[in-house]
Amino acid sequence: MELDNLKAIWKEQEPLQDLQPDMQQLLQKKSRGHIARMRRNVRIEALVMLLSYIPCIILYLVWFDGRLWYLSLMMSLILVVYWIYFLKKDRLLKKMQCVTCEVRSNLTRQVRILWTTTLVITISWFVAYMAIRYSLHLKGIPIPQWLEPLLIVLVIPGSIGLHYLNKRYFNKLYGREAQKLRDLLREMDEG
Amino acid sequence: MQETFIGLVSENRGILYKICRMYGATEPDRQDLFQEIVIQLWRSYPAFRGDARFSTWLYRIALNTAISDLRKQRRRPASIDPDLLPNQLQDIQYSSEKEEQLQQLYSAIDRLTELEKALTMLYLEDKSYQEMEEILGISQNNLRVKMNRIKDKLRKMTKEAVYGIG
Repeated sequence: MELDNLKAIWKEQEPLQDLQPDMQQLLQKKSRGHIARMRRNVRIEALVMLLSYIPCIILYLVWFDGRLWYLSLMMSLILVVYWIYFLKKDRLLKKMQCVTCEVRSNLTRQVRILWTTTLVITISWFVAYMAIRYSLHLKGIPIPQWLEPLLIVLVIPGSIGLHYLNKRYFNKLYGREAQKLRDLLREMDEG
Repeated sequence: MQETFIGLVSENRGILYKICRMYGATEPDRQDLFQEIVIQLWRSYPAFRGDARFSTWLYRIALNTAISDLRKQRRRPASIDPDLLPNQLQDIQYSSEKEEQLQQLYSAIDRLTELEKALTMLYLEDKSYQEMEEILGISQNNLRVKMNRIKDKLRKMTKEAVYGIG
């Protein structure tokens, strides 16, 4: 078939019968796209964290005549760190897709943000460590001199290890998709 | 606002049908994709200020949604040898020669990559390189190179379909 012929056939095609939905009803539905689902999961995670931490924080404050207040403080700090992490992750996911942008820049953005999301988790691990360390300092619990460098030594490879573990987990979840996005980008740039 | 939006989308429904048919392997896939595109259009509509043409804006959103749709697609049903079909089904002929040609065109498109599909769609819709650049963000020089390659592929594949080669 000649290309002009193809164009004519293309233009004359009839609309598909299976795609005649009620538009009013359609507009009330929620997105089932991958980003919408990822954002929903983050919100559920944040809610579960909140519901499980708050009773513990209150209990540690009330029980044992408040002698375990520092545990409450430590848990509150961890909760704050995780909430910052959840907010950051949610904001990243929100920014991840720009459907009104040119297709190429939207793909670049998605690839970049997928990478940043894994980095956010590593940083939050560091921040959580700092929060615990600070709460121990507040309580005045002495840390033996030999323990401090050991903790740092454990935290650094721990964070790097966690980053790679997280990356592997992310690849398992979205690896094929991330690869697909990268391949698409490469194909776009190839001359 | 909702009524204006529905009116605009209805006017351009043809574009959405074609994109869904191109990117959706099966009927449920096409319905899911259509729904997702309409939701994305509706979400973005308040920010549409009319700087770009409505159709350019619609193409961007629809292609962005279709191309980066990361859900696992169901497999496109494999073609069946007509001799193996029950007699009643064998009697059902294509509604017209045009429909048969359209099927051949879609099976050729199906063998293209996601990006090539988008370019083919814009080419068949008679979009200029300028408009293609605005939608896809690929430079016009690069688009010309890609388009020549795709045209060759399409010619070859539709010829194969007609003469049964390959």
